[in-house]
Amino acid sequence: MQQKGSHQTHPMPLSPRLSIYRWHIPMIASIAHRASGVALILFMPFYLWVLHGMTGTPEDFDQAVALLHSPIGRLVLWVAGTAVVYHFCNGIRFLALDAGWCESQQMMRLSARVVLIVALVTALFFGVLLW
Amino acid sequence: MVIQKDTGTAHNGLGDWYWQRLTALVLLVILPLPFLLLWGVYSGALNQFALLDLLDHFLSRLFHTLLIVAITVHAYIGLKVIIEDYIHKAMLRVLLIGAMLVVMSAAGIWWLALVWAWGG
Repeated sequence: MQQKGSHQTHPMPLSPRLSIYRWHIPMIASIAHRASGVALILFMPFYLWVLHGMTGTPEDFDQAVALLHSPIGRLVLWVAGTAVVYHFCNGIRFLALDAGWCESQQMMRLSARVVLIVALVTALFFGVLLW
Repeated sequence: MVIQKDTGTAHNGLGDWYWQRLTALVLLVILPLPFLLLWGVYSGALNQFALLDLLDHFLSRLFHTLLIVAITVHAYIGLKVIIEDYIHKAMLRVLLIGAMLVVMSAAGIWWLALVWAWGG
């Protein structure tokens, strides 16, 4: 440890220094967790809006359903559905890692791969379902 | 090794870590429910009467309220961590996190009002 204020002359490398790392699967899984989390936060206003409509007058309800069925609505549902399944699965993975399970490098890689493949299959499935 | 002392994370890291996981466990159970609800309406399995009957139930309100609290805390901590990682200017970071907290609280309160408003 150095004396106070030394970081002003030698800037500390601030995280995450993506450019200096070689990309690997657990890193992709981690970044995708953040990306899907942000997507889900952006989905919240949409959900609130739809919920507001669905609990309003019968006309409001019909409009909300029409919104869900519109191309934009379906796209939003597809992104949010895929994001929630990914965030859900990888969240369980993170909790397992916190609990000390599957911490070996091989298991980290394998579980990251499994979670990403599940998300991919889900995206395809929801794509077909919402087409 | 240089330790960077900066605004924000000192002393509350463990609290954030703990709350992030606790809310994750809550969301694990109840977050799928609104998606099922949306699917029910999208697929036509639920008309408005059926939907309102479901939402009107006391348990539904309870779950929705828990969901709102858990999601707001979880999303706040998650976004805070992302901002702390990518925004390196302390002033901007503090402002952004503060603004986010205000916006999210407002959204949470509006949502709560929405959930408890209908029926009676």
